[in-house]
Amino acid sequence: MRRLVPLHVNGEEHEVAVSPQTTLLEALRYGLKLTGSKQGCDKGDCGACTVIVDDKAVLSCVALAMQHVGAKIETVEGLGDAGGPSPVQRAFDACGALQCGFCQPGMIASATALLRQTPKPSDSQGREALAGNLCRCTGSTTIIEAVRAAGDARSVLPDAADGTFPQQVPMPHGPPVPGFQVIGRRARKADAIGKATGATAYADDIALPRMAFGRILRSPHTHARIRSVDTSRAAAMPGVYAVMVGRDLPTPFCVIPWTPDEHALAVDKVRYVGDGVAAVAAVDEATADAALAAIVVDYEVLPDVLDPSEALAPGAPLVHDTDWKGRPRTDNICKDVSLSFGDVDDALARSACRIAGEWHYSGSTHAAIEPHCAVASWSADGNLTLWSATQVSHYLHREIAKVLDIPEGRVRVIQPAVGGGFGGKSEPFDLEFCAAWLARAAGRPVKILYTREEVFYAHRGRHPMDFRFELGVSADGRIEAVDSNVVIDGGAYHSFGLVTTYYAGQLLPGPMRFGTYRFNSKRVYTNKPCCGPKRGHGSVQPRFPFETALDEAAEKLAIDPIDIRRRNAMEGGERTVNGQLVPSCGILECLDAVERASGWRERYANLPAGRGLGVATSMYISGTAYPIYPNDMPQSGVSIQADRSGRLTVFTGANDIGQGSSAVIAAIVAEETGVPPEWITVVAGDTDLTPVDLGSYSSRVTFMAGTAAIEAGQALRHILCEAVAAHWTCAAEDVVPLLGKVIHRADPNRAVDIITALRLAEARLGRPAIASGGYRTRAVGGDYRGGTIGASPAYSATAHVAEVNVDADTGVVRVERIWAAHDCGRALQPVLVEGQIEGSVYMGMSEALYEDHAFYDGGGNVGPRVRGKHRGPNLLDYRLATSLDTPEVLASIVESIDPGGPYGAKEAGEGPLHPAIPAIANAIWRATGARLRTMPFTPDRVLRAMGRLDS
Amino acid sequence: MLPLPSFDIVQPRSARDAVAARAAEPQSLYLAGGTDLLVNLKHGLHAPRLLVDLTRVEGLGAIRELPDGGLALGAMVRLESLATSALVALRAPGLATAAAAIAGPQHRRAGTLGGNVLLDTRCLFYNQTEFWRASIGFCLKKDGEHCHVSGSPKGCVAAQSSDTVPMLTALEATAHFLLPDGAAHTVPLAGLFGKDGRYERVHQIPTGALLTEVQVPPRRGWVAAYHKVRSRAAIDYPQLSVAVAAKFEGTTLRQLSLAVGAMLPAPRLVGPFDDLFGKPLDDAAIDQIALRVGKACRPMTSVHGDPAWRRHMAVVETRRALNSLR
Repeated sequence: MRRLVPLHVNGEEHEVAVSPQTTLLEALRYGLKLTGSKQGCDKGDCGACTVIVDDKAVLSCVALAMQHVGAKIETVEGLGDAGGPSPVQRAFDACGALQCGFCQPGMIASATALLRQTPKPSDSQGREALAGNLCRCTGSTTIIEAVRAAGDARSVLPDAADGTFPQQVPMPHGPPVPGFQVIGRRARKADAIGKATGATAYADDIALPRMAFGRILRSPHTHARIRSVDTSRAAAMPGVYAVMVGRDLPTPFCVIPWTPDEHALAVDKVRYVGDGVAAVAAVDEATADAALAAIVVDYEVLPDVLDPSEALAPGAPLVHDTDWKGRPRTDNICKDVSLSFGDVDDALARSACRIAGEWHYSGSTHAAIEPHCAVASWSADGNLTLWSATQVSHYLHREIAKVLDIPEGRVRVIQPAVGGGFGGKSEPFDLEFCAAWLARAAGRPVKILYTREEVFYAHRGRHPMDFRFELGVSADGRIEAVDSNVVIDGGAYHSFGLVTTYYAGQLLPGPMRFGTYRFNSKRVYTNKPCCGPKRGHGSVQPRFPFETALDEAAEKLAIDPIDIRRRNAMEGGERTVNGQLVPSCGILECLDAVERASGWRERYANLPAGRGLGVATSMYISGTAYPIYPNDMPQSGVSIQADRSGRLTVFTGANDIGQGSSAVIAAIVAEETGVPPEWITVVAGDTDLTPVDLGSYSSRVTFMAGTAAIEAGQALRHILCEAVAAHWTCAAEDVVPLLGKVIHRADPNRAVDIITALRLAEARLGRPAIASGGYRTRAVGGDYRGGTIGASPAYSATAHVAEVNVDADTGVVRVERIWAAHDCGRALQPVLVEGQIEGSVYMGMSEALYEDHAFYDGGGNVGPRVRGKHRGPNLLDYRLATSLDTPEVLASIVESIDPGGPYGAKEAGEGPLHPAIPAIANAIWRATGARLRTMPFTPDRVLRAMGRLDS
Repeated sequence: MLPLPSFDIVQPRSARDAVAARAAEPQSLYLAGGTDLLVNLKHGLHAPRLLVDLTRVEGLGAIRELPDGGLALGAMVRLESLATSALVALRAPGLATAAAAIAGPQHRRAGTLGGNVLLDTRCLFYNQTEFWRASIGFCLKKDGEHCHVSGSPKGCVAAQSSDTVPMLTALEATAHFLLPDGAAHTVPLAGLFGKDGRYERVHQIPTGALLTEVQVPPRRGWVAAYHKVRSRAAIDYPQLSVAVAAKFEGTTLRQLSLAVGAMLPAPRLVGPFDDLFGKPLDDAAIDQIALRVGKACRPMTSVHGDPAWRRHMAVVETRRALNSLR
């Protein structure tokens, strides 16, 4: 029964129609359209919905609207807006605390309430106050900085107090870097203040007229044949607009076009708990849920396989009866790769020190705070517009057209602001196909928003991997041989599977030099949610055995762990043992930096018992050399349209998922054209408007879209210079753009402002001044089958030193500090690079200690149906480190200047995660004498490894 | 978004009206801070027709010192107030620490003492969505017949997961209820919880009784400690907890009460320790107590964490808690 209740929100009285069960969050978001407060976990576990009620920060998703009649409610929109952001909002912006921005409205609410009570909070008070606000992007460092800064706004923004922000604070606010105007300067992010004020729209913030709500019915079985699905009762229910089942969209899909083994909804059988079976669109979510409950599915439950050992056993049930070409399958092996470089057996035999054993890397999931969400709308002339929280609008575009069997030209994919991806949104998902199909059938727009539980089932997270691994090292510490056997638990579908299988082997050689190398890598189907690419796709896992084995070798050979890495460090221009050219490599500088910063020389051997330092390194690709589907077109395109007002609009397909790619592209265009970044609008991720970019995955965007942006910027710069030169009747070479103006090289006093220059250009051309640029595939890679997978035009390098404290009585590991030095080539936007390093370190630390995407194996006292069920698909049971668990992260940037990168830049988003896990493991050994080979490093595992707890 | 089921709501202004409203609708529940109940409703663990919202009930939000030096805590006192009250720190040692350890900061601002004391028992097989619970064929605690923790159909072993309950139990607090007929009803904390963790069985109180107040007896001169074991430093429910309250004369131990939480439906009161009274709490005495705690504790798989490790932690945290009191 809906009734009108008065709510006092942001200083105004509102009459809001609510039901008794309407949560405060629903009343704010859907009743008052105050979409700044976010929904992340459904039930009070993440803090994204935090608002201020009577000066206290509380959760609005586990509170009823009717309980708040008479209360003073404040949302992020009421704390400040673009005209007058609050000191906290300004500080979050200025400190670079806004990446995806999704959890920040809640954080800003918590921080604001804290500052009202405690105007100058200490860092530990800040961490305490924000411990209920999970953030996956930043790892807390910049958030806590922002809280500190907000207590003293003048410290970060000298003119912030006079109300002139943001105009008075230029986007670049650091000193310029020699040779550059914009590149390399510390800068605000163009979209940050929109995120800080709640103005930025994410997918679930979209509301279209007549919009219906879709929900998907999911399998409760790990493995079952679908005998029939009866949707008749659901379809007849009032308020239900459309119902669909698997055979409505029979074309299979996959992000990798060669391996389509997945349907929008299961057609013949379900392969994991959570596999979609049917979907409905209805007037609201409650009606849609009721309709799902009315659908009858007749399942024939089949025996399942839950881990690779079961899946590889002779006669094991088959997850897929046929391959995607319809040929019968005989086993559960999704992909099997063996490659060998040099005589490994001989090299092992020659090695003075051999470390061998078994390691287990556990699964983890991205847990972006924004759940997946898609909105589909058809025009009357048969064109589909699909808004989706995706990292790959281009691949989504292709697969949607294919599965819905419509021309690509009739599909427009728009990526709104994305609340975190980390690889979890880098392929098509069932909700996108279902929203599109249901919207067509219903004749009205349809939105589907995953529950947090569905996000866990959609997964595509880190693959669990089992290693049989051996390392051979010479007496003087050279790596002679690495022999790696990897069994990869893939889950029910292929996803990026063939790439994962290669990456688990191909990406390990480097930045350490291997004498010889051999790997066998096998990805196996199991009846669990499908694994995929999580930050450091396929390559984070093998770092764990390698870097911990190298540490053991150093111990046995009595070589300092940093020194052993120095002795094996690659240099720029070298090839890895598997034939990949590494044009630049700053690993030595990275090791120097963390050694110095951590006080390693003085402290490593002198820490008290229970405390330890550990080091690890890694290398990661800056984009995959080749596109997922072979073609001769550019992998990234950027175009720029100049307006006579002085504004440039830059069009790029690159998906800004919070990492700040749009800010990077704006900085590049500003650098090249002289148009200040605040006059540049970046239009990104809209397939009708923007040139293709393949998407935000494999750390490719800065390198590839950045290169395309340079080319486009240079083309526009050329147009500008020619026009000004013609005006001055001098040579174009004599004219150079500086920030905001164009000057004569020989006579800097001779200048026109940039607006005049743009007008001169438009007049001279007789048409709009438009320029474009592209990134074209460069032929790189090893000369053998598979040698192009793992090939990249450039590789980043990282070193971490972790300092841990281990409580010998409890086994509890506290990571105190991580020093992370990352070679990103040139840091185009240092604030963003640091943010990527800090966030990566946080995410690696969190999976090392807390996270485990695990399933019941059926053992113990559980009933027969518990087997195969997720151990807690929610953000309470699946534990993400909070601000109180996060170490101090000390990031430093190493700039090796890559010869092929844009201004020398390489990736920064994924590489810096890798060393966190082995660095922590090595530090735990140093602190306790125990070598951990199984993740996560829970206290019981630590105590057992120390021999202090019976098994 | 995971939706709430439909229900009606009333917002009485007096405790009397609140119990009357519940008495009038058998399928009703009290709603306080909502941080736990609303989640449980989203999970389909209860299907009330009516929620009786207590936020507007007058007289349940006070912290008062009693004439005898004891403390009366209104059921609607928010956990944050409990954690930061100087009076609580003074008159109910250990309780502020326990309250500060509950969940995350936002939960503590909305959550209430009453809600935390009468927190439903928790289990990894129970505190999940309806979809998840249906997929395992439900459990003994709700809608099913099998206990996935004990394997036995005899009784539910879901864990008492409140942080305040073990501490209040060790402090020998009492819970004060208003019954539907208007009568007052008092239950010692130690007797508030039964052996069966099912929602309708675990609380040893008449249906519809309204918790109005928790009283802590005079504890002048007592010292106490609450040690909570959890994975993260915030948000998590206890994986195990040790609450201990003691009275010394000089260095001589006069009284000691110790409760372990997050194992079974009721907090585990360990003791008596009379044999140790009248002597200093020396290392040997602490060893004795820790040994008894170890023997008394059998953590199960109802909550996170390896049971053997949690049992080990009961001993470790007992030692640490006792050491902190010396």
